Amino acid sequence: MPVKQSLSVIRQLLLAILSVAVAFPFFWMISSALKTNDEIWQFPPTIWPQEPLWHNFREAWDAAPFAQYMFNSVFVASAIVILQIFNSAMLAYALTHMKFRLSKALTAIILLGYMIPATATYLPSYLILNELGLLNSYAGLILSNCVSVFSIFLIRQAFLQVSHELIEAGQVDGASHLRILWTIIVPITRSSFAVLALITFIEQYNNYFWPMLITTDPKLQLVSAGLRSFFVEGGAYGLKWPLIMAASAMTIAPLLVLFICTQKTIIHSVNLSAGATKG
Amino acid sequence: MNRSLLNDAKAFLFSLPALVPLLLFWFIPLGYVIYLSFMEWDFMNPVKVYVGWDNYRNLFNNPQFYDALRITLLFCLGSVIPIIVIGLLLALLLQRRMKGNAVIQTLLFSPWVTPTVAVSIVWTWIYEPEIGLANLVLDWLGQAPVRWLEDPGWALIAILIVTIWKAAGWSMIFYMVAIRNVPPDLLQAAELDGAGYWNRLRYVTLPLISPTTFFLIIVQMIQAIQAYDQINVLTQGGPAGSTRTLLYLYYQSAFTSYQIGEASTIAITIILGCLLLSALSFLVARKTVHYH
Repeated sequence: MPVKQSLSVIRQLLLAILSVAVAFPFFWMISSALKTNDEIWQFPPTIWPQEPLWHNFREAWDAAPFAQYMFNSVFVASAIVILQIFNSAMLAYALTHMKFRLSKALTAIILLGYMIPATATYLPSYLILNELGLLNSYAGLILSNCVSVFSIFLIRQAFLQVSHELIEAGQVDGASHLRILWTIIVPITRSSFAVLALITFIEQYNNYFWPMLITTDPKLQLVSAGLRSFFVEGGAYGLKWPLIMAASAMTIAPLLVLFICTQKTIIHSVNLSAGATKG
Repeated sequence: MNRSLLNDAKAFLFSLPALVPLLLFWFIPLGYVIYLSFMEWDFMNPVKVYVGWDNYRNLFNNPQFYDALRITLLFCLGSVIPIIVIGLLLALLLQRRMKGNAVIQTLLFSPWVTPTVAVSIVWTWIYEPEIGLANLVLDWLGQAPVRWLEDPGWALIAILIVTIWKAAGWSMIFYMVAIRNVPPDLLQAAELDGAGYWNRLRYVTLPLISPTTFFLIIVQMIQAIQAYDQINVLTQGGPAGSTRTLLYLYYQSAFTSYQIGEASTIAITIILGCLLLSALSFLVARKTVHYH
């Protein structure tokens, strides 16, 4: 059937063009990062620089404390992931496998939290953090993000699938709730925890608005805020586009690598997060 | 000690590590912002003055508020609809398993994992009026160049393009999963009844994936209301307030003009708006979404 075949060719061609177009900004970023200040303003622009200046990356890296920013982002994001794994598992276990009064009410309250946009509470949260003396500190950055309604629901959904008999069998053997949770339930539901860890890490590494509000010390800036200061301050804006593109590329690269390595888990998260909200 | 009481106590202890931060950074702020919306305060003054409904009255008499509301609605519709439609189209195009589709899927999805601030900086360069890629493309299409980020008529569109570019691949993945879960025998039965591709799409696939559509609408709507990073990098709410959404107005009145009372009333409007949207979509979903 030639009609069907040519339709299929058109479809694949369309997809190829679309995907190249979507990824083109990334290519353009790298290409611009390798140009000289003169070449970047040339018209018409060159697709790839005649002489790629790889040392632009080195120069951008040294132009601002990017190592510090990167460390802050990775450190804060990792700490948040660990805390969220811990408290989501505990709360989800209590909600699903420890019959107690108020568990229904608690679930409903948390579901309500799902509908409330976090950004709307940034002002009062800022004031509370100020009262607690946690502005401008790693502790503030980590603790204020250490709980997520999404994570709780994700894990709750996973725990609901675990048969209650398993817990009862553990109790007959005399195991405590803590032991049952961490040695039986968590290993079974580890794919949900992998999703939690990845999604939370990406979200927190990229986080900008809230960390920017609660830190004024440049030493505590996460990578997005650091990059943005490099972009607007120090005369970089508009003058040093190749360096700005190099700095952006260095910020984006770790995430693209992480994404390519963990694509399956991230795509798996789609199944889980669609399920998590049907609650 | 009573056994069930002991059990309650244990469950309470298990809930504590999540409940304490939830209270501190989620529920107490919610109460606090309601309280602040009835106060006049500027951050510095140790005294907060109770002003009743004045802040609300002022807000509803402030033309800036209605501008921001209109821009928020435009931003919501202008991002949510394309993100969902493009995501669905891409998923339909990718439906048949072909060699190379895995790579295509990776490319289409990749913008979603990247930091909004970094990619918005890249897009600032693309929108550069003299030499930027965006105007180069317009030139190829025979169109006059545009001052993307400086023209009030274009700035919102520029931000929408970045927003859609970043999220369309994400909704595509959701639709791919949903389409794969459509029972093949239903499609075969429709085909035997003589339904062509469009009719099968219209009467079988689309109704069966409607829970996904519903989910995506809600999530993207709430995302759109909370959009900040790309606006902050690309336009800071300008030019002439043409990209100042409610959230941006809230942020400016809280952290640049220190009008805590006014800012709090905007926060309440945003929260109520989100709750209303969620409630509305639940009502609509009950009538139109097919769960199976």
